[in-house]
Amino acid sequence: MPDHTGATALDVRGLTVTYEGWAALVGATLTLGEGEVLELLGPSGSGKSTFLYAVAGFQPPAAGEIRLHGQLVASAASALAPEERDIAFVFQNYALWPHMSVLDTVAYAARRRRTRRGAARAEAMPILERLGIGALAQRQPAELSGGEQQRVGLARALARHASLYLFDEPTAHLDTQLRNVFIEELLTRQRDTGAAAVYATHNAEEALSIADAVALLDRGVIVQIGTPEQVYAEPVDLWAARLTGPASVLTAPVVATGVGTCTVLVDTIELTVSCSNARPAVGSMRRLLVRPGWSRLGGSATGTVEAVWFRGPHTDYLVETAVGSIQIREAGTPRYHVGEPVQWSLRRSWLLGDEPVVGEETDVSPAPLPVPSDSPRH
Amino acid sequence: MTRRQRRLGPSAALLLVAAAVGALVVLPLLRLVEVVLRESGGDLAELWRAPGLASAVVNTLLVAVAVTVLAVPVGTATALALRRPDVPGKPFWRVAVLLPVLVPEFVLGYSWTQSYGRAGFTDAVLGQHWAGVLGPAGVVVVLAVSAAPIAYLLVAVGLAARAEPDLERAARASGARSLTALRTITLPLLRSSVAAAAVLVSVLTLGAFAVPQVLGAPAGFDTVTTRIYADLSRGSDPRSFVEAIALALLLVVVTALLVAPADTALGPRLRVRRVADSGTASVRMPRRWPGRVVAVALGGYLLVTVGLPLLALVSASVTRAVGLPPGPRNWTLDNFRAVLDQRTFEAVGRSLTLALLAATILVVLGGCVAALEHSRAGRGAGTLIALMLVLPGSTLAVALLIAYGRWLAGSLMLILLAYLAKLWALAHRPVSGALDRLTPEELHAARASGASQLTAVRTVALPPLVPALLGGWLVCFVTALHEVTMSSLLYGPGSETLAVVVLRTQELGRIGPTAALSVLLSLLLLVPALVLWLVLRRLRPPRPPRQPALPITTEAPAHA
Repeated sequence: MPDHTGATALDVRGLTVTYEGWAALVGATLTLGEGEVLELLGPSGSGKSTFLYAVAGFQPPAAGEIRLHGQLVASAASALAPEERDIAFVFQNYALWPHMSVLDTVAYAARRRRTRRGAARAEAMPILERLGIGALAQRQPAELSGGEQQRVGLARALARHASLYLFDEPTAHLDTQLRNVFIEELLTRQRDTGAAAVYATHNAEEALSIADAVALLDRGVIVQIGTPEQVYAEPVDLWAARLTGPASVLTAPVVATGVGTCTVLVDTIELTVSCSNARPAVGSMRRLLVRPGWSRLGGSATGTVEAVWFRGPHTDYLVETAVGSIQIREAGTPRYHVGEPVQWSLRRSWLLGDEPVVGEETDVSPAPLPVPSDSPRH
Repeated sequence: MTRRQRRLGPSAALLLVAAAVGALVVLPLLRLVEVVLRESGGDLAELWRAPGLASAVVNTLLVAVAVTVLAVPVGTATALALRRPDVPGKPFWRVAVLLPVLVPEFVLGYSWTQSYGRAGFTDAVLGQHWAGVLGPAGVVVVLAVSAAPIAYLLVAVGLAARAEPDLERAARASGARSLTALRTITLPLLRSSVAAAAVLVSVLTLGAFAVPQVLGAPAGFDTVTTRIYADLSRGSDPRSFVEAIALALLLVVVTALLVAPADTALGPRLRVRRVADSGTASVRMPRRWPGRVVAVALGGYLLVTVGLPLLALVSASVTRAVGLPPGPRNWTLDNFRAVLDQRTFEAVGRSLTLALLAATILVVLGGCVAALEHSRAGRGAGTLIALMLVLPGSTLAVALLIAYGRWLAGSLMLILLAYLAKLWALAHRPVSGALDRLTPEELHAARASGASQLTAVRTVALPPLVPALLGGWLVCFVTALHEVTMSSLLYGPGSETLAVVVLRTQELGRIGPTAALSVLLSLLLLVPALVLWLVLRRLRPPRPPRQPALPITTEAPAHA
């Protein structure tokens, strides 16, 4: 494993990628420290794969720069070929070579380093063993299940001994249970190697649970970068809030302002929220984000149960209130029915955006956010 | 629709197809074998000692090998080059590289004599000519040029179906250089497509007639097909008739020996249905040569192999006398006036009628087979029909002549039967392809949306079939219009087609009129070919729409 002390694993500045006249990625800027995991979170078509393809060298940038461990690997002027970059790639569709056995697939990278066939296979075998697929060594891809195929894809990437791993929605085609097992495995291996990783997904839970940093992508633009806790609790706008988890939006007046904080009156509840970005006038109506865990049943405010979803470990209630519908999560089985009046209270909220409320809640178009180019964590 | 009626449809189609195959191919081939066996007394052994016969057989095999060795790499390289996204004008090149196969073989062969032969275009302009154009070298090169697009098509289909771009990307990300990725991933994946292309090219070359006749025969270089032609032209000599029959049988045996193992080995793999598109089809990675270089190379190749020869052909058709330098001073329309006589007009009429009839009947037959393929009884029908395409035309013509000559010799009817037998596969492929793309789920979805069975077929199944049927019709029409291998063996007084008139004129050594007739034949093909191109463009399944795009001018957000 190459030693790159003191350099960032990945440094991307102003990366723009175009396909025949339309921009799939515009001005993406982010950095990733050694050994860190960055999640690219966004709906399909938001440019996640394009970002990874550009970093891997499958797609040259139209503008911007990509540095791996301080070395410039791609700019608008020149780009290193993929095989010359210190990266490994795991594909969404596995991309296993149909004419090669599992063993030869994993031995491929070593063969390209001019290792003899026997030695390359001997090198590949322990990787298969570690992933629990040693018994499949002689199989062809067509004889493998989806989960097995993706493990082979991971094994092939590990065999590259790269210092940056690129995962393009590797679990998209796996069922939920397999997905969790695979991610566990992947993270263990990746941390073993001490390599950094960029992981694209459209699954918020997956993104938040495994990342050191999360970047939110919307139609080719990175709209927010932060720790998982940050992007969940302090989303840059409503779109980002909905992307990262269940979001209820309430409307409430600002009753007082302080230094970086302001006080809002939600129904009967006075709540102090952070407003470092927004500087709302006292008396103006504002939109507030409420996550399911931030409120609870019981308290001074009133409402009516609109819907009940039993989810197994917990129950979600949708409560209609004077300030908007709010989703409240509670452990255990349902104890209220639709139509029943309930009391509720709020212990935390997040002030959304800058613009005052006009009528119904609508999706705000995401504005690019000035993001500090420093590593977001550690 | 009652259950009884539903069963009646397929069985009627099955009967029709079985009867047609029996009458057009099986019976004539059986008659061929029977006659050869009957004549196989001392005569047949003696036949082998006929002067030039053994060399014609050897020539045929050598030409097939040489053409395959040349055409398959050229076709493969073209397919790989045109997969690159950075080649400018790719949609144009995709059509342009098919040009050599769209020009009738006779016209292509003859145009090479007019451009590179003695007293040809380059001779008149640069004082340079290639003596080898008449003889084995010319035969091999021109056949390779005209076969390369077939190899290209097969390999391109293989590339699209088997070599997803991500597979190559995975190799690059594993440390393979672009050439290594080509060698270790892409080419191995294409092995079956390349092998299929090689088999098809060699089999079609075995049965090729026009090019060897135009470029080989004048130099005394005979192949089996030109020998059969010569044998039958000799008219009443019974010995040469027996020789023609024996050679026809030999040709089909050699073809079968080539195709049978190949079909067993490759058939199942080639019939694998194409998997879903993997999104971005482009493999944009650093390359040794920029796309412009590839485009220039393709343009140069097409100019030398097709462009210049066709130009020379046109030039020869409007030049007053052979050997005069091409230029306005020597231009004349005399050649056209000389050939536009009653005989030519009648031949054009016959060609059009034959092509029209053949195409229409073939679309019905092709549709029947495509429909049968989806029922249990007719699963093998498609393969059977596809195999009919590789039956050498000379063999078919001779076999039909033996089987039905007593009643139909020299008639248009016999020529029509030959066209039906030979071109059936061409009508079957597009329809079968369109049916394959239609999944049962689409019909189920229509039924679940409230459509009756008939309405479902009319609204969901039929629309994608219409361009396919039209495409099949046009392919048959164009091919029948310039067919010469079988027509030249089967025509009689009053049943010459235009292609036969061109061939006879060339045999008489009348260069100007031959060139003029070749130009006429090409122009006659141009109209349906253009329509065909438009139809084929519609045949391609529509691309999935792009994701919402950002305008390219969007400014990058001002980051630190």
